[in-house]
Parts: sequence; C-alpha cells; structure tokens
Amino acid sequence: MSNRYVEMGLRSPVNLTWEVSLACNLRCTHCLSASGEPAVGELSTAEALDLVEQVHQAGVFQINFGGGEPFLRPDFEEILAACHGRGIMTCISTNGTLLDRERVARLASSRLVAIQVSMDGATPETCDEIRGNGVFTRAIEAIKLLAASSIPTSINTVLTKQNASQIPAMYEMAHSLGVSLRVSRFRPSGRGADNWEELRPTPAQLLEFSDWLANSGDVRTGDSFFSLTSQERQGLGLNLCGAAKLTCCVGPTGNMYPCAFLQTDRFKAGSLRDNSFQEIWDSSEIYASFRDLRIHSCEECQRFDQCHGGCPAVAWHLKNDINGGDPECLERCVTSIADANRTAVAA
Amino acid sequence: MTAAGAGIRLHPACRVRQEGFGLLFYDNRGPRLLFAETGSLLPAEFYGTVRGRDEFPEGLTENQKKALQKFVAQLLEKGFLREQSIC
Repeated sequence: MSNRYVEMGLRSPVNLTWEVSLACNLRCTHCLSASGEPAVGELSTAEALDLVEQVHQAGVFQINFGGGEPFLRPDFEEILAACHGRGIMTCISTNGTLLDRERVARLASSRLVAIQVSMDGATPETCDEIRGNGVFTRAIEAIKLLAASSIPTSINTVLTKQNASQIPAMYEMAHSLGVSLRVSRFRPSGRGADNWEELRPTPAQLLEFSDWLANSGDVRTGDSFFSLTSQERQGLGLNLCGAAKLTCCVGPTGNMYPCAFLQTDRFKAGSLRDNSFQEIWDSSEIYASFRDLRIHSCEECQRFDQCHGGCPAVAWHLKNDINGGDPECLERCVTSIADANRTAVAA
Repeated sequence: MTAAGAGIRLHPACRVRQEGFGLLFYDNRGPRLLFAETGSLLPAEFYGTVRGRDEFPEGLTENQKKALQKFVAQLLEKGFLREQSIC
C-alpha cells in the first residue's frame, strides 16, 4: 500500500460500505449495527438508485453491501442491477438464509458480484450460539448453491472468544465447500458493544490468530486485522486505517460516516438528503479530521509503520479517544500477556 | 510482451480512474490497488477498448512512448491489462 498517494487525497473512495437496511431476520449477538427492525426513513428506491448514479460519477470501483440483511430490501436486486449496469463491482454480505437457486442464478448472470456468507463457527453449536438456532445449516445450504455457481464466494467469520479455536477448522470447511475464508475483527459497536466482554477474543487468542494468519496467505481479512498483521502478511493489505481515505460508509437513511463501525451522530459526515455524495466526500469536516488523524501516542512503537495506530473505531468505543491507539493491537496483546504472566509469578 | 495479432485491454476484473498523481488501478481479484504516477500521459479510458501494442494516445514524444511501453509491460505482468485477440 502506497501511503504517500493515499495521503495526497483521492478524489473519491475506492470502495464504499453501504448498509442498505437495518432489517434483519436474525439477531446475531455481535451485530455491529444492532440490526433487526428497519430504520425509520430508510432510503427509497429512487433515492438508492440516485446514489448508485452518484457513486458511479464519483468513480467508486466497488460497493460492499451490508445491513441488516440486504436481501430483505424488496428492491435490492434492482439496486444491484443499477450498479452492474454502470460497471460497479459489488460484494454482498448476507446471512444466506434468503438465497435460493433462482436468486443465485440471477445474481451470477451479472458477473460483477461476489458474496460473503456469514458463519461464526465450524460447528452448529458454536455458530448458532451467536447467530440463532438452525442458521449454521441454512448458511451451509446457501454456500453450496453459491459454490456451484460462478459467483466468487467466501465464508465471513467474525473472530470471537467462542470460535477462535475453530478458525483452522473453518478454513478447512471453506476449502471443502469450494469457497474461501474471510475473517473479520469483532468490534464493540451495536450489539457487539452490549456483548463485548462475553465475545471479545483474549489477547492470547489474538496472538495465536495472528500467527496462524501469517501462514494463511489466502485468507482474506479486508481492513480488519492490520493492527495484528505479522511481517509475513505485509504487502497483502492495508497498513493503516482507510476510513475517509480509501473507503467510507453510507447508512440505511443516507447518512455518511467514516466507516461502518462509527455510525453515530458524533461521526456523521453528512446526509445524502442534504448534500451530494461528492460534496460530502470533498467537504466533510469529519472526513477531513480522519485524513489528518495521526496517532502520536503510537509513533514510538516499533510496529508503527505496520499499523499506524490501528483501528480508531475500537479506540473510540473502548477508550472514548479516537487518537488513543488501538487497544487490541499486536504490541498491546504481547504486553498484556507479559503483564499477566508477571502478575501470576508475583502472586 | 504480447503475441502477434493480439491487442491489449483492461482486465475485466480491473478498473482504473484518473487521480491527481496519475492513474489509480483497482483489481477486484485481490483486491489490490496500483498507484501509477502517470500524470496526464495516459487517459484512464484508453485501455477500456482493445489497443494495439504500438498504439499510443496522440501527442506523445518518442521518450514518452518508450516510458509508456515499459509501463504497459508492467501492467500486463501484474495482470491489470491483458492480451486480447484483435483478429
């Protein structure tokens, strides 16, 4: 990643996370947006299609759709078609429960869509504890349909205390199904904040995962784990937070934010009902503050060049300090374990 | 290097756009980015259609053409461009 060009400022994001609806048929305990019922005043079909055109004009390469469950929006395939008709690549994060053979065939015909099916364990017991009874089996059925199509498909797993030991098994399961594995970081937003202590991986689990990831180059992590990236994975992804520089987020009602984990009034960059996508990207003070963000407290760290202070969203949620440095970075995991060991020895 | 009778175009999994420094390439297969400090030497849409390997935007000097040839070879090697028959 060439930070010099990123810091010069891009004319628009490379990709956009668009949470098209808060509606969801599941109630996952780690859900970053506490989805369930649709939000009041979600974008209408006309507004959504207008946004697609704006995003196209801005030159955004890819839209990552999430929610909520995107397929609960009756017009979702219409929105997708508008993207694909303009050459915009799309990736859909879904729980898989609303995918059937006919829908998969329709989606495959665009050749511009990739799908991530969420699963949170290699066994029904572990997965369903987080996602609900029977979800593991339904997700597997969806993955089999997708694997038989031309749609690039991955299993997306949020790393938690409960499933951390099953990640290698999930990798094997993904391969046996003919899809890839993507692991995302658990962050304390939405219901994830309510269940943070119960679900957060321990520092030892994070270190173990970092080591495993170092030898698993074909596992994608999106922008999740640059704070844990080992030397072996340097060059495979980001080494800094891309919020407001390479990416941004549009919420269900048309509010724009730096990222999906900071969808609060404090970080609202603007509303698409008041300003255009390009105006908000160019002129938002919140975005400007993220582009200028320097985590000075981390600058002396030996790993600073590899993470630049890590995830500001986690720092905000856990320390109420956007400049505070990622509380769960690799360096802090090592320190935390060493401190615990010293305390144990002293006792 | 391209085969005789083959043209060059942007790979279907890739996109490119103009930025202040030059061109920004995006490859969905990684995904990965390529920042190319080309200034205004090469319009972003140039390889949106099949081009001959000796085909250049108008108005380039010989030195600029040589630089562009080298750059195109790198894009082919990295997979952002691909060969396509023009027969």
